[in-house]
This record gives sequence, structure tokens and C-alpha cells, in this order.
Amino acid sequence: MITELEVKDVLRRGGYIADETISTAVFLALRMEKPILIEGPPGVGKTGLAKTLSEVMDFPLVRLQCYEGIDEGKALYDWEYGKQLLYTQLLRTQLDSYLSESADLRAAVERLSAEESLFFSQNFLVQRPILRSFLSEKRSLLLIDEIDRSGDEFEALLLECLSDFQVSVPELGVIPARNRPLAILTSNGTRMISDALRRRCLFLYIGYPEFDREVAIVRTRFPELCEGLARQMVEFLRKARELNLRKPPSVSETLDWAQVLSILHTKQLTPEVVANTVGVIAKHQADLQQVNDLARQILAV
Amino acid sequence: MERIITRFVTALRERGIRVSPGESLDAVQALSLGGLSGREPVKALLRLTLVKNVNDIPAFEEVFAQFFSMGQENALGLDPTDLLTALIHIVEGEQLKAEEHRTQEKDEPLLIIDEEVTAEDLENLLAMEESDDESAGAEIMVQLDGHRGKMEAPSPSDYYMKSPPTVAFSQGISKPKVEPFTPEELADMQEVVSRMLVRIRKDVKRMKELESRGKLHVIRTIQKNYRHGMVPFLLSLRRKRKEKPRLVVLCDVSYSVSHATRFMLLLLHTLQNRLMHVRSFIFNRELAEITPMLRNMPVNCLLETIDRGDIVNLDDNSDYGNVFLEFKKKHLENMRGKPAIIIMGDARNNYNDSKEWALEEIREKAGYMLWLTPEERETWHRGDCLIELYGSYCDRVEVVRDVDELSRMVEDLFYTLYDHHDTRAWKGRRREQKHEEPHDYRSYYTRKGGAAPAFDATVRRQW
Repeated sequence: MITELEVKDVLRRGGYIADETISTAVFLALRMEKPILIEGPPGVGKTGLAKTLSEVMDFPLVRLQCYEGIDEGKALYDWEYGKQLLYTQLLRTQLDSYLSESADLRAAVERLSAEESLFFSQNFLVQRPILRSFLSEKRSLLLIDEIDRSGDEFEALLLECLSDFQVSVPELGVIPARNRPLAILTSNGTRMISDALRRRCLFLYIGYPEFDREVAIVRTRFPELCEGLARQMVEFLRKARELNLRKPPSVSETLDWAQVLSILHTKQLTPEVVANTVGVIAKHQADLQQVNDLARQILAV
Repeated sequence: MERIITRFVTALRERGIRVSPGESLDAVQALSLGGLSGREPVKALLRLTLVKNVNDIPAFEEVFAQFFSMGQENALGLDPTDLLTALIHIVEGEQLKAEEHRTQEKDEPLLIIDEEVTAEDLENLLAMEESDDESAGAEIMVQLDGHRGKMEAPSPSDYYMKSPPTVAFSQGISKPKVEPFTPEELADMQEVVSRMLVRIRKDVKRMKELESRGKLHVIRTIQKNYRHGMVPFLLSLRRKRKEKPRLVVLCDVSYSVSHATRFMLLLLHTLQNRLMHVRSFIFNRELAEITPMLRNMPVNCLLETIDRGDIVNLDDNSDYGNVFLEFKKKHLENMRGKPAIIIMGDARNNYNDSKEWALEEIREKAGYMLWLTPEERETWHRGDCLIELYGSYCDRVEVVRDVDELSRMVEDLFYTLYDHHDTRAWKGRRREQKHEEPHDYRSYYTRKGGAAPAFDATVRRQW
């Protein structure tokens, strides 16, 4: 029996600083066995949450990266045609002798159809990520990444899997999950996810973190960075986010920058330091200029 | 507990957040699990289970704060009557100041207050507030609800029902300023476009499936099926390479059509490079390309720039002949392939030289030419409208009145552009559409589908 506060602690041990909403979401997902749909701007730690969870909870991570045109052959299961063909070729002699015992053609067909299940068995089924995570020996973590890149058809395909944790294979029937995985879906919001899918999930929106939490994130990842610099850095980036940049710096940029600053042994932020390392924060030509201007405005003494 | 959740869900629904019964069941189930302590985690729990859309989160926060602080004081800890008396003081003081100012010098008062609101009015309001009971408030609410949405702007086509001189006159006096798009309009447009994209994409996919016939590419098929022991499970066909359709759009931005152009620009902005190559131009007297701006600027910003007259001078009168000539000279030579050209405008040439030969040359180079006008058909022959002349060079002339029609036109155009792949399903689809559209442009120009034949031989034979 785990509680919400324990979830928070466990995540902290894994190096992920969660707020109440995130820890509550994880707690509920674990207890209610419901998938979480995470939305938010890129680089705020949506995928990071899943990775950390799989580490600290010791769930093997099964990752499914979505892209346009993904289908059930890539996500659920596929038949191994090659192997099926190979087996029929190799077993031809056995089949011949087996079928020669039957009196006429009709009996032969009946006899063969009785053995049909041989060729449509789990033996010839290639497990793709979703089925693999359903059938794993241990409870696993199923990460369906960037679901907004896939199409409507794929979303509809997920409905059955995520609400009942089962996969229907027409030739075999319904395969229920051996261990219900903790499912995490992430989306950057480039496309509206259908209401049907939203209804089956807990909806978690992760925005940019508050000041204290962001400082804490930097401090846990890079303890060698002094407190003052971390605070100064985060404050500067928060101002930069308000600038209406084409790609506002996210938490991942904060961490990259913190790494760069710790490698350079920086003690304090100055406009020169920002100018030298601006490529880590801003990712567009127009943004570089704006960030530099901001640095000159705020950091100049 | 269930009852509290149900009431809370009702409150959410009243604010317009869609919560399904299944979701409220989830919330109850989640609460019964325990393991949570404090207000924040419980709020997070309710939000996670009940709200499934980012845009609904602020509304949820509001309802939550309101619902779970019932009977407590409001945020500022102020009584509503106190607030009102404070307001009265402010207004009184300001009026005194304003009068002083007026007696001293003829300057404007520092804070301009509506003359009709006086301190007495506010006091009356205060008295009313005290005597009022709740039922009156509810009644007013109901009445308001009845009127909501009925106050609509007059439809733009109304202008053109009057005769052109008065239109020009009235518009000259109050230059209609192009307002920036509201977030709702942007969201609406996004939705219209995404719906359109979904429809188109499905059809394109279906078309591609139908395309699985043709000559077999033997070598590639063998290569592809190597791992299946040369048994051809996967086929490879000889196919011509397709390219995205190219589109050129010319938009009139003069005042007479600005309301329609706004939406055309917005549509272009949303469509840009998602489905086809689009080059966009705007014109009044002169022509200017805005493709790079559409790609890089937020649409409201671009609209302001156009409105200020920075790109093309808006004070001139539109001159279609000149624009066509300029387009032919400067841009037509550089266009690759046979682009489809859309011209958006009312074809009111202000009695300039029509230069229709330029349009004819453009037509020769274009794969398809479509003219969209916001004007109703009845007024086409009045005044300086040249649409009959220009229209004779176009493949199609259409009236568009609103966003839906606009998006349908563009969708239609898309099908036409993909036409050279002509498959049977495609033809069937177009036949269906012909039946749906009673106002077919062909019947307008050729007057073929006008009167039904009086005598039908086949029917006669059956008798």
C-alpha cells in the first residue's frame, strides 16, 4: 500500500522532482490501473517521468515511439509469414504421410483443418511493444511516446488495449494481459487527441515548473553548482520564457545549460557568459538576439 | 461523498466543462482509495480524473475555489456593500476633480467617467442591492440567457444589396478597421481546417489504395520479396512520381472586401505547407508577395501590418488590370509547373483599364483558375464590376460568404487538382457532388440545366 507522499519520495530518489499533481497522477495510475495521458510543451520531462518511474519501481520499460502511419503490425502483433512458409516447406514430408492415411480428399481437408491451429499459434506471432508489455512476466511500464504524431486509426486501435488491457487477434481470440502494465502516453499537443481516448486516461498537464521546483531540479542533477548560480540561472530563464520566443527554453534546456556552466566552472552569470553559451538556451536565429538583449538588460551591473 | 462529487460535477458542467458519468465514477473510485492527504493532492486528483482538456484547467481551478470555499469570505475579505461604497467615494472625488479642472482650464479630466453615471446612481444601486431578493437576480439571468447570441453583426453581403455608390460612400466615411482575430475565431478556423484535412487525407488514402493497379515492376518486386523465397507477397508497381499541388493565391485587400480577405489569409496561414505549396500575394493597386511573412509571423501581427498599409498602399483604389499585368511580368515566368490560381476579390476595377488579355495569358500558364468573390450574384452587373468579363477566363467563379464555404471551396479545389489521377471512385464522388449542388456554376454560364425537357421518350415508352 503506497501513498502519494511515498510516490513523491520514490521519484525524488530517482532524481525526478515531482509536484503534487504529478505524484498524485502516478499514485492513482498505480492504484486504479489506468493509463496516464501527459500533455505539455516539449522538454518538461514527460518522457523523463516514465523513464524514472521504470527505474525506481523496477518495471521494465517497453517503449513505443509513434509516427505517422503506425499500425497494428508495428504496435500490437504481426504474423511471421516467412517462418510459417518455412515450416510448411520443412514439414511437407510429414504432412504427406499424415494426409495419405485419409481415404479421400474431403477427409484430408477435414484432417488438415483440425490441425490449423498449429500454424496460427503464438509460435508464429511476433510480439510488438504493446503485446510484449501485456505478456511480460513482471509488471512493466508501457510508454507510448508522442501519440499526437500517429493517426486517428491508431488511436482507435489503442482504445481496446488501454481500457481492458487485452489484445484481440482474429485467428487466436482475445489475449488478456498477464500483468497490467503502467501505461504512460505523452503528447505535445500538435493534434487534438480524441475524447474517447482522453476519457480512458488520467489527464496530466505538465507545464513549466515553479521557481523553487526548478531550482531543486537543477540542484539534484548538478549538486556541484552553487545555490546562488542555480537561482540566478532559473530566474533568467523564467524571464526568457516570457519573451515570446519561437522555442521557449524548457526544463531540458535548463539542465543542459546547468551542465555547460558547471563544466565551465562559472561562478556568476554575466552578459558575456550568456553570449558564449546562448546556443544551449535558444534554438533559433531570431531567439539568440532576443536572449542576448535580455542578458544585457538584466545582468549588466 | 458521492453526493458532493455529483454536485461538484454539476457545477463544472454549468461552466461548460464536459464531464462524463464515467469520469465522475473514476473520481469517486479514486477518492475511496485513500492514501492522499491535504487539499492540493485532492484537488489534483479531481483535476486528473474530471478534466481532460488543457483549456478547461483554468475554469476548473475557478470552480474548485468557489465550490470548496462556500460560506467562507471572498478572496479579498471584503463585503460587496463595502466595495460599492468605496466605489461611490472614488466616483464622487473624481467628479469633483473633473469639475475643478473644467473651471480652471479647458483640459480633459484625468480619468474620463461616463457622464451618465453619478454618485447618486450608484447609491440607488446600493439601495436596490439591499432590497433585492435572489429570485429577481435569477430572472434577469434567464432573460439574459435568452438574448445571448442574438446580437450578431449584420452579414457582410448586406452592403452589396444597396447600390454601389452608396456603399462606396458609406464605407469612405467610416473606414472599417480590420480587427485582430479573437482566440475563438482562431480556434474555429483551426477546427474547420483540421476537419477539412481529415476529410481530404482519408480520400487521398483511399485513392492511393485504389491506385494499386498498373504495370508490375518485375525487378523491384523480386528484390522486395527476396526474404519470402521469391514468392511475390509484396508487389511493386511502376508509378509516376507525384508532387504536391502548387497553389497561387491573389487576395484583394481593399476595404470593400477586407472582411472576406481576412478569413482567406487566416485559412492560408493554417494551410500553409501542410498539404500543398502555397504562394500568396496581396494587392490593391500594386501587388506584393506575403508567402514568407505568412510562414514566419503570427497571423494577427501580419494583419496589423497589412492594415497599416505597410505592404501595399491601402488608400488607393484597386486596379485589377494593372495587378494582372504585374503578376504576369514579375512572377508568372518563375512559376514551376502549372500552378492552380485562386483570385479573391470583387472585381470592382474602379473604371480602370481592364487589361483582360493579361489574365488570358495567366490562364494559359495556369493549370486551373478559380475566382472567389464575396459579392452576391444579383449585384454583379451593377457599377464597375468586371466579374463577368474576368470570369469568362476562369474555370470557375464562386461566391463565398463565410468560413465554411471558403473551406469547402478549397477542399473542392484540392480534389480538382488531384483529378489527373482520375479513378473510378473519384468520378463517382464528383457525380454525387453534382447532385448535391443545385446552383451549379455550369448551368449559370451555359444555361444547360435550366428547364427540364418537356417530353421524355423513355417514360413515354413505359406507358
